[in-house]
Amino acid sequence: MGLLDTEFGKRRLLSVEVPAIEKYNEGRDAEFKIFLNRVGGTLVLSYLLKPCHNIYRLETRLLSSYPTVPPETRVLTPLKHCPHLLEGQTMCLWRQGSTRAVSRWDPAKFTCVFALQAAWRWLVCYEIWHDTGEWPLPEAK
Amino acid sequence: MDFRPLTETERRTLTTALRGNSDRGLALLMDRRDTSFAGTAEEVPDEEVINAIKSVPCHY
Repeated sequence: MGLLDTEFGKRRLLSVEVPAIEKYNEGRDAEFKIFLNRVGGTLVLSYLLKPCHNIYRLETRLLSSYPTVPPETRVLTPLKHCPHLLEGQTMCLWRQGSTRAVSRWDPAKFTCVFALQAAWRWLVCYEIWHDTGEWPLPEAK
Repeated sequence: MDFRPLTETERRTLTTALRGNSDRGLALLMDRRDTSFAGTAEEVPDEEVINAIKSVPCHY
């Protein structure tokens, strides 16, 4: 199901994803708002996050298989190589095969703004790891 | 980017907040203007849910 090319997808985009982005942007400083662009069949959210002192530029891609397949979030700001960071500075956020429900992306429950929130928490972990060399939360099985 | 590290106090505060989030579902709050860390909360009013990291799925 694509957000852009099926009726179900378009309904989800207009009734779930876009309102969530608008709600997120309400009262937000201009530079920290989410910008939504279309690149081919993919929707790309571009935004900045500043969990602590440092500002990171990120993008979250909603592929044509979204929301069945989780969104992909990439940090565009150069990072030190660290745990839970995949090729292309893509954040490793979810494990779809996990037996632990909270480790999996659930399309019935989450919106693209959840991906941003997960990225924010990942960045907090990164800042702590940067100083200590230890990821502050244990990995789930 | 010139990385500015956390102070010892900031690191301790954030580590405690992350563990509270992971172990007992404490919400991590984002500042509504610039997304900076704004503390933790047991309960979050509906209008602030968009700025509260609570039930976000994650594998670590």
